[in-house]
Amino acid sequence: MKKIVSVSLGSSKRDHHVHTKMLGVDFEISRRGTDGNFDNALSLLKELDGKVDAIGLGGIDLYLYAGKTRYTVNDGQKLLDAVKKTPVVDGSGLKNTLERETVYYLRNNTDLLPPGCKVLMVSAVDRFGMAEALSELGCDMTFGDLIFSAGIPYPIKTVEELEEIAGKTLPEMVKLPFHMLYPTGEKQDTQDDKKVEKYGHYYHEAGVIAGDYHLVRRYMPGNLKGQLVITNTTTREDVTFLRDKGVGCLVTTTPELEGRSFGTNVMEAALLVLLDKKWEDITPGDYLELMDRLGMKPRIQQLQNV
Amino acid sequence: MATHEEITESLEAFARAYSENARLKVMNRDWDRNVLILPEDIESVHTLVLKDGELSFSQGKTAEPDLTVISNSDILADMFFGDITPTEPYMNGTLRIIGSEDDILRLDFISLLIWGE
Repeated sequence: MKKIVSVSLGSSKRDHHVHTKMLGVDFEISRRGTDGNFDNALSLLKELDGKVDAIGLGGIDLYLYAGKTRYTVNDGQKLLDAVKKTPVVDGSGLKNTLERETVYYLRNNTDLLPPGCKVLMVSAVDRFGMAEALSELGCDMTFGDLIFSAGIPYPIKTVEELEEIAGKTLPEMVKLPFHMLYPTGEKQDTQDDKKVEKYGHYYHEAGVIAGDYHLVRRYMPGNLKGQLVITNTTTREDVTFLRDKGVGCLVTTTPELEGRSFGTNVMEAALLVLLDKKWEDITPGDYLELMDRLGMKPRIQQLQNV
Repeated sequence: MATHEEITESLEAFARAYSENARLKVMNRDWDRNVLILPEDIESVHTLVLKDGELSFSQGKTAEPDLTVISNSDILADMFFGDITPTEPYMNGTLRIIGSEDDILRLDFISLLIWGE
């Protein structure tokens, strides 16, 4: 039995525990939220070190990307440094492969992503692979990194401008406490009403809303008109929330285990165990081959009656 | 220790760089704020005013501040000249900003978009 624990800065209300089998290997997978308490996350990581097969870091990014440049988030690094024996991943390696593939899959196998469709990515620097793939396929992009993270009503329209702005701001922004850049703890269970009112129109204007679930949720207005949401981690409650807001179709990039899709950090930890390699030695080709063997495909759910 | 005149010059440089950046004016057209600049080691007060996307400054306290930026005169002059970024002094406590977290983050973004690499 391989044990994987996802330690998250997010809400403990989303904690979950499942047993599953992948390629004949038994896994016990659990998620433990620390409600935004950084010190508790550090203590938990130290406690788990050497006692489990892999650890996923959730609710925080270790790395942000723009183009080929990788920026290390200081708070993520502090968490990583607390673990000496067990491999730790934040999902960024898998995101780059899995989420690109999700976009290509939707274009090639469905009519959900037609050329020229309007896509809002609430944040792109945490899912640069998805951002690049959507742009490459000719979608009309709005990257909301400045709008939703900094409250600056400036839609970034191209990957090139995203890279340019990220190059100026991210080297310093990654030094700030992570809670200033991303909703942690209780903020994951609430909406930012001011920003919903001010910037909700970006959701209404898009046909597709993509990105990290907590960000998608935090700023989502009501009365949507059947938009498609492409995201990662959802629970049954999240699906109800999206349906009530008027979302028409939900695509999750990670497979469902016992009623919910786990974060990419959890899936990356599981694949790391299956590959039995060091994280830095794993290539996108390794992930692709394994995803193929596991039959991993995006999950598509219609949320409204048609 | 920087002088009041040096802080004035640094704010002139900051305002000039801002005015040459058309994108920043678009970004800030909804953000009307008064920012008080207060060095704690010399007698000096300036007010930065952002209104309709334009940035200006004046000597003294000329409006009720939404944000107050407090540090020693050297850090303030270096920061507005773009020699240092605000992040490090903010994180080590030598730069204090009184205001909402959203406004602090936005001011940081503006500074980085002006002086960032």
